[in-house]
Amino acid sequence: MAKEATQQAEGGTERTPQWAMAIDLDRCTGCEACVLACASENNVPTAGEDQAAMGRTKHWIRIDRYYEGEFPDIKVKYRPVMCQQCDEAPCEPVCPVNATYQNAEGLNVQIYNRCIGTRYCANNCPYTVRFFNWFAPEWAEPLNLQLNPDVSIRPAGVMEKCTFCAHKIKRAKLDADAEGRELADGDVQPACVQSCPAEAMVFGDMTDPDSKVARQLGSGRSGQLLESLGTKPRVFYLEKAD
Amino acid sequence: MDRRNFVKLVGTASGGAVTGACGRQAEEIIPLLVPEESVPVGVEQWHPSVCSECSAACGTLARVMASEREIEVGGELVRQKIAAVKKIEGNPLDPVSGGRLCARGHASLQSLYNPDRLRSPLKRVGPRASGQFEAISWDDAIAEAAGALVAADPGRILFLARAREGVRSENIARFLDAIGAPPATSIGVGDFAAEREASESVFGRSGLPLYEIQDSTLVLSIGADLLGGWVSPVLYSRRYGHMRQGRRELRGRLIHAESRFSLTAWNADRWLPVWPGGELALALAIGHELLGEQGADAPASVVSIFADVDLEQAAAEAGVPVEAIRQTASELAQASAPVVVAGASMVRQNSADAVAAAAALNWLLGCVGKPGGVIPPAEPLGVLGRRRRFSGDWSERLEQAAVVLVDGVNPAYNAPASQRALADAETVISFSPFLDDTSAFADLILPDHDPLEQSLLEVPPVSPTPSFVAAGEFVAPLYDSRPIATVLSELAEAAEQPFEELTVGQAVSTLYSALGSAGSETSASDFEARTLRVGGWRGQPSGKPPATPGTLGPFEMAPKQEGIVLQAYESPQFGSGSGANRPWLQELPDPTSSALWGLPVEVDPETAARLGLVNGDNVRIRSEHGSLEAPVYVNPAAIPGVVSMAVGQGHASYGRYASGRGANPMVIVGDGRDETTGCPTMGPTPISIEKIAGGARLVQFSRQDRDLPPHRV
Ligand code: SF4
Ligand code: SF4
Ligand code: SF4
Repeated sequence: MAKEATQQAEGGTERTPQWAMAIDLDRCTGCEACVLACASENNVPTAGEDQAAMGRTKHWIRIDRYYEGEFPDIKVKYRPVMCQQCDEAPCEPVCPVNATYQNAEGLNVQIYNRCIGTRYCANNCPYTVRFFNWFAPEWAEPLNLQLNPDVSIRPAGVMEKCTFCAHKIKRAKLDADAEGRELADGDVQPACVQSCPAEAMVFGDMTDPDSKVARQLGSGRSGQLLESLGTKPRVFYLEKAD
Repeated sequence: MDRRNFVKLVGTASGGAVTGACGRQAEEIIPLLVPEESVPVGVEQWHPSVCSECSAACGTLARVMASEREIEVGGELVRQKIAAVKKIEGNPLDPVSGGRLCARGHASLQSLYNPDRLRSPLKRVGPRASGQFEAISWDDAIAEAAGALVAADPGRILFLARAREGVRSENIARFLDAIGAPPATSIGVGDFAAEREASESVFGRSGLPLYEIQDSTLVLSIGADLLGGWVSPVLYSRRYGHMRQGRRELRGRLIHAESRFSLTAWNADRWLPVWPGGELALALAIGHELLGEQGADAPASVVSIFADVDLEQAAAEAGVPVEAIRQTASELAQASAPVVVAGASMVRQNSADAVAAAAALNWLLGCVGKPGGVIPPAEPLGVLGRRRRFSGDWSERLEQAAVVLVDGVNPAYNAPASQRALADAETVISFSPFLDDTSAFADLILPDHDPLEQSLLEVPPVSPTPSFVAAGEFVAPLYDSRPIATVLSELAEAAEQPFEELTVGQAVSTLYSALGSAGSETSASDFEARTLRVGGWRGQPSGKPPATPGTLGPFEMAPKQEGIVLQAYESPQFGSGSGANRPWLQELPDPTSSALWGLPVEVDPETAARLGLVNGDNVRIRSEHGSLEAPVYVNPAAIPGVVSMAVGQGHASYGRYASGRGANPMVIVGDGRDETTGCPTMGPTPISIEKIAGGARLVQFSRQDRDLPPHRV
């Protein structure tokens, strides 16, 4: 169910932003700064070697990398991949308790205290970006001091994934409200976007034609991951220009 | 934190809490230490700081909020309210980071809150390197250390430290002056020693040149993994992004020559695989071709090094086809704004020469000081003199030393041959906050505060404008550690030697007078206040610094090594190995192999097939210097016959996340040193490989190297 482009908020004249991200693969270097920026912002725990060996690390954002060709004519294709915030999200309809759904701004949200841990959503996500908490996360003291109080710690038995830094969206709205103004383009910077040294990522309201993200979508290099599946992702990739 | 908001905060910061208008969490920016009780719960504060993870000295912002920790008071556990750092971001006003950060910068938080930090001074009680220590008081530690210094012949005191330009280095220098000891020496690791040496001969200036790749149309990098950790990774990644997509209708191109398919090679339009050690031959060959392409109006001393090169021979020694060399030279000659980035991400015996030859290509291209070209190093700023800190013979001096002081470097790990000398030295004193490979050899460990717990002032080695970064103290130290400057003062006092500590405040005031027109501030104290509030100072580019080449060459190409060789390299996340005790970095996939919690030996597919090796098999690698065992990753992009292994694992001692994990390739490459700088070389070293049963497991984040259906839709 694709969202109306310019949905009106209840009783107000404010536009409901439709969040989207554009990642310019011609700028991205594969440095993985975004991966740790996300872990730091969102209290994403490390799993340790044994759990990692079972494929149980949590990387809300990862760099997919694939080699193409053979030495010496070898290339590597890579891209940062996080929850694609699909408009037609395969993870949503399979959740028996509606713990995951698309909100009015196009975010695929995950309600931790509603989640009962069936893991159907993770099975059904074609991008493998959902992570299950098999155990309660642990931080050896005093590593726990680094935890961000704005983001809840996910207990054992629930699913987690990239939120597009929903708490930062909220913070930016409160800031704008406090200053009596509307949200401006660039006010919301998810942690990965904020950190990216190559300035490969932009985030914003895709229905605002003046936003950076809208301009990137119109660049002619823009596409989506596994587009043919019809999931209608809100993450757009600008292909390399070579 | 974006630029607009940060500027707004700086503008309103008054030292008191700024209360949010709508009851939402307020933000404030406070440079100096705030008492814990004045940090309200839920309020975030942003404090300028300086990243110390690599030598780039990115300006950062630390997000500080109220937190709690458990401590023992009189045998009882109580909760103590403290101000804690929650995140590190780039400082948007800093010309180097531009508000961005690399993975290592984020993980610096896990140095501050590392569970294995030393809680107090330690004194060795067991044999060297046995890890047996007991806690002692600072008074006793200072008395013992001072006693050793006083008893020693000052000429046999050796201080091993990083080659940085800043208040810390200045204090170390002052201290050594005071006690009559020789200046501190870098072991070369992480200090870009070859690049600095080369700069003296190519540009006649000390320091590191700045490459203006953001405005280039064609970048050739030789040996410099500029997107993967070389010199200033955040700055060069920002500039790379701009080069590709920051200009209307103009996309710059990148050719990368290196003996490994590094992050920079990933991003290159063309990768020129060079045989390890063949970088000098490649630079000479390209220069020779350029002489034919362009009129040689370059300085005669530059022309002379390229004139007599035998192209066929150079190509053979570089392992690069003549055709590829010709094509590269001709593309450079035709480009409107070319530049050659010269580096030694993997240090060889002749790296200073190789970097000099590659950097000198810029004279042939006429791009020195031009837009999109290379800017020779700027003059040092004010009081912080740029001292020569490399010494080709530090290893020999270590063997002769009576007292060895170690700060910020880990010779026992990066140059394992130095372990013998560390074991034999009369006294070893370490300032490390961790019980690492080298401090395990120490008689006394005098743990430093974490960089986030102390005031700092550093001059970045390269910056788009003259600048320095500075930070005040903003969180109380967690443990009974002391900043090195304080300890040096106490040592000097106990040894009854005159030492005057340079504080960050004094350094800022002195810089204010030295810089003359530092800004709009009318007094040194205004300048200091503003500097600490915004995290440093940035001036105007001082026009084109005049530069002329010094003495260059003659360069001798090294014959190509035959047989299978191993080269060690610094990975983007572990650097020279210091990142290994941060769990975030252990669980960050290695870009090449996707390995987690361990690093494999990378073998090319041909060699692997011949030896019957597949991913995850274990091998024993031997060289004349030593042997190691590690799992194999078959790297589709490895040069046939060139085995690579990242530095990072194999720490004998470095806390719970790193100790005893994996192997250290520096054990194999031996005790070779770059002839001019003394920097440990990273191969190539002839090796034999043998498959063994069992061994360590290869844990990979992704086991898939090729994109297969259904992903290709
Ligand atoms: S931080 Fe930016 S450049 Fe680095 S991998 Fe992520 S998107 Fe790419
Ligand atoms: S990427 Fe996966 S988790 Fe995210 S919305 Fe799409 S289907 Fe759901
Ligand atoms: S490049 Fe990364 S590690 Fe180096 S100073 Fe900057 S943020 Fe720190």
